[in-house]
Amino acid sequence: MAEEQKEAKPKKRMTATKAAASIGPMVKEFITGTLQAKAEGKQKVAYTFIVCHHEEIFRALDVIPVWTENFAGICGAKRDAERFLQRAESLGLSRSLCTYALCGIGFDQWREELGQMPPEAPWGGQVRPDFMISSGQILCDPRSKWYQASQQFMPDVPIYNIDLPYPLFQENRDHREALGYYHQYIVKQLRGLVAFLEEQTKKKMNYDRLRELVDLSDRTWNLIDETYKLRRAAPCPMGTGDAMNTMVPINFMMATQKAYDFFVDLKKELEEKIAKGEGEVENEKYRLMWGGGLPAWYALNDFNYFNSKGASFPVETTYRMVAPLHEMDIPETKDPIEHLAWRWLGYWTFWYDKAKKRPGSEPDVERLINWIEEYKIDGVVMHEAFSCRTWHVGLIWQLHQLAKIYKPIPVYMIGKDGQKGKVYRELPSLILESDIIDITSYSEVDTRNKIDAFVETLESIRANRAT
Amino acid sequence: MTSYFAGIDIGSTMTKAVILNKGGIASIIGPTGPEQRRLANKVMEEALKKASLSFPQITYIVATGYGRINVPFSDKQFTEITCHAKGIVHLFPQARTIIDIGGQDVKGIKIDATGKIIDFVMNDKCAAGSGRFIEVIADTLEVPLDQVGERSLQSKNPSKISNICTIWAQQEVASSLSEGVAIADLLAGVHQSLADRIIRMVNRLRVEDSVIVTGGGAKNRGLIKALSEQLGHKVLVPEDPLITGALGAALMGKEIVEKARQNNTPLETKERILEEIEIL
Repeated sequence: MAEEQKEAKPKKRMTATKAAASIGPMVKEFITGTLQAKAEGKQKVAYTFIVCHHEEIFRALDVIPVWTENFAGICGAKRDAERFLQRAESLGLSRSLCTYALCGIGFDQWREELGQMPPEAPWGGQVRPDFMISSGQILCDPRSKWYQASQQFMPDVPIYNIDLPYPLFQENRDHREALGYYHQYIVKQLRGLVAFLEEQTKKKMNYDRLRELVDLSDRTWNLIDETYKLRRAAPCPMGTGDAMNTMVPINFMMATQKAYDFFVDLKKELEEKIAKGEGEVENEKYRLMWGGGLPAWYALNDFNYFNSKGASFPVETTYRMVAPLHEMDIPETKDPIEHLAWRWLGYWTFWYDKAKKRPGSEPDVERLINWIEEYKIDGVVMHEAFSCRTWHVGLIWQLHQLAKIYKPIPVYMIGKDGQKGKVYRELPSLILESDIIDITSYSEVDTRNKIDAFVETLESIRANRAT
Repeated sequence: MTSYFAGIDIGSTMTKAVILNKGGIASIIGPTGPEQRRLANKVMEEALKKASLSFPQITYIVATGYGRINVPFSDKQFTEITCHAKGIVHLFPQARTIIDIGGQDVKGIKIDATGKIIDFVMNDKCAAGSGRFIEVIADTLEVPLDQVGERSLQSKNPSKISNICTIWAQQEVASSLSEGVAIADLLAGVHQSLADRIIRMVNRLRVEDSVIVTGGGAKNRGLIKALSEQLGHKVLVPEDPLITGALGAALMGKEIVEKARQNNTPLETKERILEEIEIL
């Protein structure tokens, strides 16, 4: 039977920081914790999605979030997603849908069919939820549809959907004109969530506790921003490979002291590495940006391969789901729900004003340009995962826009024809193609051939500059 | 003492070797099989024979292509992107865009005014868009591969091939054939479909003149016509479009040697032995 099919275990990725190395056991502890909580029955457990700014509400009402995308990612990283994907396919779902969702739906169906966890479920498996909280965030429809599909196998588990919009970028319009309306709407959505959770948990929201948790999250946001900005140092002390680990506290552990403490430790570790001149790579030759796309979780070793060529990754747009709060226009309010709604809007509109100042720019492109400068980037790497339209549609367009509007210092060159000409050095880019967890879309040989060619391109550009 | 430089390109379908000296080049092409290491030896041996040289006379050897790590005697390896660019810029200094249509993949390379690579794209996920696509269709239509291009040029009404997948396109062609569609029209349709897929990929690079097409696909005049029409650019083809990667590899070797001599640094080379490889 297809379910027995398992892929070869991946080689362990080498991390540059102790903090990143500590993440694996932390996630395992978190997964087993949800299983234990469910067995004890003292706390409710809820399926939900990351980046919804609702963790504080969950934790204030002692609801344990089960991050379903995280579990699918774990299956992918352990190269054990295929049997769940095949389950979902046998239910009539296409492989071209979101493979996180397919993996989760396949797992749920199997668990419900057996009445227990599927055999050798990764880290004990994903717990049966008491309820499910979905949100498409206006950009991801599988986040709304996934739980509806899973509900077919768990008809007794209710779903609550929250809608979290934000004003879209318009070059000739100030988004603040509509911000108040959006804010009112989001507040209403979050209050609806509070009411639903109160009903499910039979508890009343303690707003003082919620305020404390929101404050803890805010402090963590600023701490993460300060910590990640340390990666501007040359050599870069921590790369994107590690950031794909340290995304765990950012995305799955917000509003916990543990997340805050994690970044206190990471910041200290990075400061020490910088003081000693220790980089992610021993002899840093190139500084690359992970300019978009979720990673291929089963192939994180590719970051080590980049490192082996002298390339470090000081910055990535993926999973850096925080921005400095002091740079946002967040109105003062004592109501934590109102604050959450303002923070949500502040995060998604963070690059709007800067983008308007640069003709032809857009927020996503503006972020690339700013970080290329701040982190002294030599090239951009993106990953196009076929099954995720939300994150990946538009990446190539972003690169095109970047090439159009980003003009680094011109260089005067003598061409082959002997004529002197002004040449704008374009920033080379590499687009890797595969999927988030579907390993059948990935070829290590081809990927590494592309990486080799990209590094040779960087070398060629550098040699030309030197000339 | 005269210096000789060798480049060997082990592609997915063909293995190519070039030996370069001041006077010109000697090249040999053979099919790539599962025994890449043995073939690398064989092709090199023949290239040496053609150039009337002995192996120890070769100053430096660079290997490229997918099988580059399977060339036991190469002094250095570079990817086919770097080597194709080097070879093409040598032949066409005005080149800005290179499209290499190989047996099982397609590459697009963007070159700047100084002849350096500034960007590239590769399709290695699917046979659609590669030379293999034409091979499969030629086989279905029972037209010899080297006649596919010419036959397609006789078409007055190219048929529309809508399937992207090579296998489905093969079925579509077979079905159209049974409906009486002319072979020339089917071949022209296949070339248009292939050109469309290739252009969609290389458009990421923002195609600029001069456009040079290399690889086995460049030998197909029907495909070149379709590419040129759809791109809206004149397309140039080298005299021997299969060897540009190997030529580039040889040129890379030449550059390395010249730089080492200029800087008076030692040159690391492998022992010049073409040993018999045992295949398990």
